[in-house]
Amino acid sequence: MYVAAKGGEQAIQNAEALYQALNGGITLADVRTIMEKMPYLVDRVMGEGSLYAPELAALAIAQTGGDLYEAVLLLRAYRATQPRIAYANPASADTLLTVRRISAAFKDIPGGQILGPSLDYSHRLLRLDVLDAQEDLNRQDAKNAEDAAHASVNSALSAVQNGVVVSDAPAPPTYPALADWQRGQGLLPQTQPQQIAPADIPDVTTDTVTFPAPRAHRLQALARADTGGVLALGYSIMRGYGLIHPTVNELRLGYAEVELAHPVTGATFSAGRVRVSHCEVITPDAGKNGYMLGFAATMGWNEVKLIASSTLDLDMAANEGDGHSAHSEEFVMYHTEPVESSGFCIHFKLPHYVTFASSLDNVRKIAAASGWEK
Amino acid sequence: MPLSDLTNERQDYSYGYLDAYAKRELRRRALKAIAIPGYQVPYASRELPIARGWGTGGLQVTLALVGPESVVKVIDQGADDSVNAANLRRFITRMSGCATTTDTSKATILQSRHRIPEEIMGEGQALVLQVPDPEPLRRVQPDISKAAQLHADADYGQMWLGLYEQLVRHRQYVQGADYPSLVHGRYVMNPSPIPRWDTPKLHQAAHLTLLSAGREKRMYAVPPYTNVYPLEFDDIPFQVEDQTGRTCKTTGAQNKFMNELPQADGTAVYELSDSGYAEKLKNNVATALTYFDEQGNFYHDGYLKPPVRPA
Repeated sequence: MYVAAKGGEQAIQNAEALYQALNGGITLADVRTIMEKMPYLVDRVMGEGSLYAPELAALAIAQTGGDLYEAVLLLRAYRATQPRIAYANPASADTLLTVRRISAAFKDIPGGQILGPSLDYSHRLLRLDVLDAQEDLNRQDAKNAEDAAHASVNSALSAVQNGVVVSDAPAPPTYPALADWQRGQGLLPQTQPQQIAPADIPDVTTDTVTFPAPRAHRLQALARADTGGVLALGYSIMRGYGLIHPTVNELRLGYAEVELAHPVTGATFSAGRVRVSHCEVITPDAGKNGYMLGFAATMGWNEVKLIASSTLDLDMAANEGDGHSAHSEEFVMYHTEPVESSGFCIHFKLPHYVTFASSLDNVRKIAAASGWEK
Repeated sequence: MPLSDLTNERQDYSYGYLDAYAKRELRRRALKAIAIPGYQVPYASRELPIARGWGTGGLQVTLALVGPESVVKVIDQGADDSVNAANLRRFITRMSGCATTTDTSKATILQSRHRIPEEIMGEGQALVLQVPDPEPLRRVQPDISKAAQLHADADYGQMWLGLYEQLVRHRQYVQGADYPSLVHGRYVMNPSPIPRWDTPKLHQAAHLTLLSAGREKRMYAVPPYTNVYPLEFDDIPFQVEDQTGRTCKTTGAQNKFMNELPQADGTAVYELSDSGYAEKLKNNVATALTYFDEQGNFYHDGYLKPPVRPA
């Protein structure tokens, strides 16, 4: 029963227990499986949760039964409790350990197009044969199932190796930035990196956001934005409510070294590698000669989010103030924030009978005055 | 007699992937599109095992046309070996058993994203163009129902105004690919994002062109021997992309549409965008006549005019 305050204590505990029971409970093995088998889901939660912690993200997914907004909230709430103990050096495109980099602007680019891991050109056919094997699995005990899973991974790996022409030379780990070539051609304006101490970089997680926002705020907000949210707004631009056709200049997936200065010796060391992705889109600059560049980056690998976000970045720069929602920095930043938007949306499940009674009073009075009420 | 003797053997997917109802609908819509050149015919675009926006509109038309006798060529940006083209070709032949080719002249169905080949296509060939945005009026009217009314009234005033604004601002038309064009003197259409170099090839073409947008669920056609004119003012003619001075690094060809390839030293080299044509030149195979000759002259005399800059 839906009881708002008093007497609801037991009810809410039961509701949560029922939710967890229907999801079958969670174990460490479940968390490990999610982490290993669903890296893109884990990436999405880490990106929106703005905390790089694959195990915690997998735990959040398991604990919420896969409700992504709840999982992101769990991770954000945990993140808020953690102190910031150091600032890493900036990671740049030319030192990124790149596993995939593509450009739609040119057929080939210095360093080459590297397709890397991708489902882009797969046939989206359900592999129903996997389900046939499930019947066999059911008859085995858990140990056998695990062995079978490992065997299937190994056979998939060897299938890939069999079907692919393996090059003698390994691909280079890093690639030049295409935008640098365009700057050399005078197609893009020259830029100078801003010299700023890490602790002075505007931080959207601790600052009050005002508009127009510093560029750091905008890029941080897009990095942790809701994938579906930026997609909807970005798509509105792409489909016709914007003035641009974004051309993907360069899209990259890779691993960035988290380089830190040792607190005692001051020597630079790597604390580990994190999965990151970034995207640039370009469009002709209507006001000047050459092109404009939109940019977005996020933790984890999330291509659709980055193409949408970099398109938003570009159109917000090109068309700010023309009245369309997706061109307004304020509109985009506020409404693609996953924790705030989902939280406010579900708050409407809370009892609202006092406010409703207040409006009911008015509606009845108006109706009575106009003789509608029978 | 067991029931299994009376039924067909179970197949995972229908011939050509689409079920018979979907094929019937697509063929009827295609006939309507051919009957009303340039008019956008809505259809119930099905989900395909290819991501939306990656050529599912063109693919549905191709799958509705394809048969065991068909010879299919698929290009993306002019290239047969482009990953998306290779993938679509693999899917079409996997689902239909049709033959494939890279030779424009041999294809009965040619599905393309963003290019029309350099060699002149002939009667009996179908060109299927993948369309991201079928609505030319979207630039001036994003609301589909209002745009439909403008089409019904043949009210293209805002398009002309847009062209005029381009001339005022830049002293030239600045629309890149997908140059809006008037079909059969009635409907303005988006020719799909083919370069302006390819737009004239649709005019009085011997082949059938079907244009299909899967995401937007619209299909339209340019039947053989139909007038197609890019929107242009009488005194400021439409211009194709300038290819002068560009020589293909592998074939030495000139006056064809070229890919610009950035080099590590900051320069650029060029190669033919039409990979099937380049392959023929490389292997000394006889090529068909091309829409633009060696000197860059278009095959319909007088259709393209020299540039004029407004005062």
